[in-house]
Amino acid sequence: MSKHVLSSLALILTTMATTNLMAAPPILQPGKSPLVTIRLTFRTGAAHEPAGKEGVASLMAAMLTEGGTRKLSYQQVIDAMFPMATEVDSQVDHEMITFSGETHIDNLEKYYALLRDMLLDPGWREEDLRRLKDDAINFLQVSLRGNNDEELGKEILYNWIYEGHPYGRHPAGRVSAIRALTIADLKQFYRAQLTQANLTIAIAGGYPKDFPGRVIADLDKLPKGEPSALRLPDPKPIRGRQLLMVEKKTRSVAMSMGFPIPVRRGHPDYLALLVAQSWLGQHRNSGVRLFDRIRAVRGLNYGDYAYIEYFPRGMFQFEPDPNLARRHQIFQVWIRPVEPATAHFTLRLAIYELERLHRTGLSEDDFDRTRSFLSKYVNLLTRTKRAELGYAVDSAFYGISEYNSYIKEGLKTLTRDQVNAAIRKHLSPDNMKIVLIGENCEALRADIVAGKPSPITYNSPKLDDVVAEDKIVADFPIKIPSSAAKVEPVERFFE
Amino acid sequence: MLSLVLSALLMTTHAAEPQSKAFPYAYDQHDYPNGLRLITVPTDYPNVVALYIVVQTGSRNEIEPGKSGFAHFFEHIMFRGTKNVPPDEYERHLKRMGASSNASTWDDRTQYHTTFSKEDLELMLRLEADRFQNLYYPENVFRTEALAVLGEYNKNSAEPTEKLAEVLFDTAFDRHTYKHTTMGFLKDIQDMPNQFAYSRQFFDRYYRPEYTTIIVVGDVTPERVKTLIEKYWGPWKRGAFHAGIPAEPAHDKPRRNHIDWPSPTLPYVTVAYRTPGYDDQGRDSAALDILSSIAFSENSDIYRKLLIDEQIVDRLHVNNMDHVDPNLFQITARVKKKEDLARVEKEILAAVRHFQDKLVPISKLDTVKKRQRYAFALHLNNSEAIAESLAHYINLRRTPETINNIYSRYAEVTPADLRRVARKYFTDSERTVVTLATK
Repeated sequence: MSKHVLSSLALILTTMATTNLMAAPPILQPGKSPLVTIRLTFRTGAAHEPAGKEGVASLMAAMLTEGGTRKLSYQQVIDAMFPMATEVDSQVDHEMITFSGETHIDNLEKYYALLRDMLLDPGWREEDLRRLKDDAINFLQVSLRGNNDEELGKEILYNWIYEGHPYGRHPAGRVSAIRALTIADLKQFYRAQLTQANLTIAIAGGYPKDFPGRVIADLDKLPKGEPSALRLPDPKPIRGRQLLMVEKKTRSVAMSMGFPIPVRRGHPDYLALLVAQSWLGQHRNSGVRLFDRIRAVRGLNYGDYAYIEYFPRGMFQFEPDPNLARRHQIFQVWIRPVEPATAHFTLRLAIYELERLHRTGLSEDDFDRTRSFLSKYVNLLTRTKRAELGYAVDSAFYGISEYNSYIKEGLKTLTRDQVNAAIRKHLSPDNMKIVLIGENCEALRADIVAGKPSPITYNSPKLDDVVAEDKIVADFPIKIPSSAAKVEPVERFFE
Repeated sequence: MLSLVLSALLMTTHAAEPQSKAFPYAYDQHDYPNGLRLITVPTDYPNVVALYIVVQTGSRNEIEPGKSGFAHFFEHIMFRGTKNVPPDEYERHLKRMGASSNASTWDDRTQYHTTFSKEDLELMLRLEADRFQNLYYPENVFRTEALAVLGEYNKNSAEPTEKLAEVLFDTAFDRHTYKHTTMGFLKDIQDMPNQFAYSRQFFDRYYRPEYTTIIVVGDVTPERVKTLIEKYWGPWKRGAFHAGIPAEPAHDKPRRNHIDWPSPTLPYVTVAYRTPGYDDQGRDSAALDILSSIAFSENSDIYRKLLIDEQIVDRLHVNNMDHVDPNLFQITARVKKKEDLARVEKEILAAVRHFQDKLVPISKLDTVKKRQRYAFALHLNNSEAIAESLAHYINLRRTPETINNIYSRYAEVTPADLRRVARKYFTDSERTVVTLATK
């Protein structure tokens, strides 16, 4: 037996021995591509942070990818990555932390050596912490609270729905807690959470045969750990419709509304709700119900969408990022900013559409078309290696088969009745939280709780059915009593 | 005969050195009699086809005062269907195909892109050919869509950098249409519903084969694509309009402007210089690109000083996008404290002076050249990304060959070129500075 074969065998054995400890077996997709993609996902995240340390997960991950290693300063890491035109990214959500990157095969050894040191031998320097704390606080206070009303509305909705729950804060943390975090806090979280028991390794591309074995052997240096035992309670049930208006100086009114659902990938109703959500408001797609009624027919805004899974950064991308898997999800509707004068009408129209969906469900034709769309669209979601690996990691989390086949096979046997039954069961808009971001909230709040009519006029004639529907919508009861409607200043959030 | 020999020679060269080409894929470029051009790139990525239709018309073509934003408006209107295929039928087809479809507009171009499964190629090309040739929209539909455009302005309006760009271009240009952003001036967007007749004229001028290049990338063969395009796009009539884009005269002094922002934000400063239009024959475009990286990217001296050592800036961006006509080389910093704004502006100006005075070490230059090649290769990781990269260059020169040309120019750039372009273009009189801070 040659030496080469022996060493390969040894690596396979290492692989076998190590994989038992991991959250899921390594996901390996060798191919001919000159690029190599690596995703290392840990089943931990912001929901696992100790009380008072909100932000430690995100800051710890940033210290690994945007701080130095013990050997190299952050600047030296940048300089080393620069000619390879690559980096290591981190993404932190409540239940997953992912480190990922892609390199040209020419640079694989150099790149991997950097990635390995970033992950296994971080620098933990005070000057990096100072800079990254500033970044984290500026993200919450400036980028999110100040400059992005749409994302702000969505995140406040999540915080509000999960009040008192481990999800009840932004995955990036809270400003006051971030300010107080120390290197010791970060190290403690790092040692406790970035363990082999939490890890899934995923690698794709034209890597050499021995590469995965080397990665596995290196990551064996991480603490073994135990699989997480974090219990996640159900979120508190919502009673009736509740309104939170966020006062800030801005030109228009952004809206988000939703409620918890017990459905996630693998749940018997997942595919049924996926079809319902796609028909109602497939992300950034025209020709779906909300988009059609609010934007295309009436020109009230730029777009209107619906979700059954967490989808941050939706205004910047067409497809969701993988590795945001969660045990709890909400149904959510995103109404893009409207002119203040039409805000009351648009809110009514959105709720009118949700009630209609709940009452009547999808027609056979709607169902057929949406099912056909999703069974092909799923190919596009996984068209890059990065996405393919990410979806595979998520499938392991949810305990489902490969995502594309899970969707395609499931859709084949799905019926319209199942979809409509799932809508009736899970999508009642009677108990729902609604977040509006805008200026002069008190006046709009008064109109909403008083049920004041909100007739609408247009700059062009509308078809008779739209005119008739508008008359209904203008007086449509939103059913939010004064006691369930509050206005809060934007400065209060994420502090 | 000579041309035949030459082509044979080029083909041989091409075949012998495929690795040396920056654009690594074999492509087929075909011109139709009506002026339409087709670029087909077969790839190994199975099943999927990416279709990009590039119209060389953007906000640059909005030459009449009061009509800014119309190129972008058309991006919206093009989804309003034809008499043959009304919009709901178009949407139904897309849904059945599971296609991802969208469009985008920019200063120099509008592009329509769809990604779908290969079995839907013919239907997709037929649908797109129909709307490009037979777009139909009544006035009430037009007026409603104008409001969706205002909605788009609104959704961007909480972001200070949108306003920063709006004021920067308005300040830096007097005559050229780059004076307005692609979204257009707010007053023009608000007046759009009243411009139905102009919209028809705009379509008639620019949605023509001689302005259009079709890019098909993916699981296809050039022969079949060529035949389908001939069948559905062959009857499209050539137009005759040439936009007289006014040239921007030389400026005689530096300009500046300030924006009072109504809500809390970190302050910004942008320093911009007018730089030449894209050129893949001379070295200036390539040298400015490389300089942008050396002088202001994350491994530049100023980045280290302001973001890592002193930590008074949290974002530093350089923007030197390729344009058809002279546009702006922009350096933008987000500053942590308002009192440091003036100091950061001075640091940016000092960095500019440094590259006018000193020669960049050759090792630094080589590092950037290496990075550029890897960055491009890393981006080409699926058919859609290949089509998207191509679309950018097609908009500038209508052929993938320009990618190989510009990468050859990158390879030729010397430290002396970097100093020369810094001296030539980063002049006081062509400088515009815009600051933004909470009122």
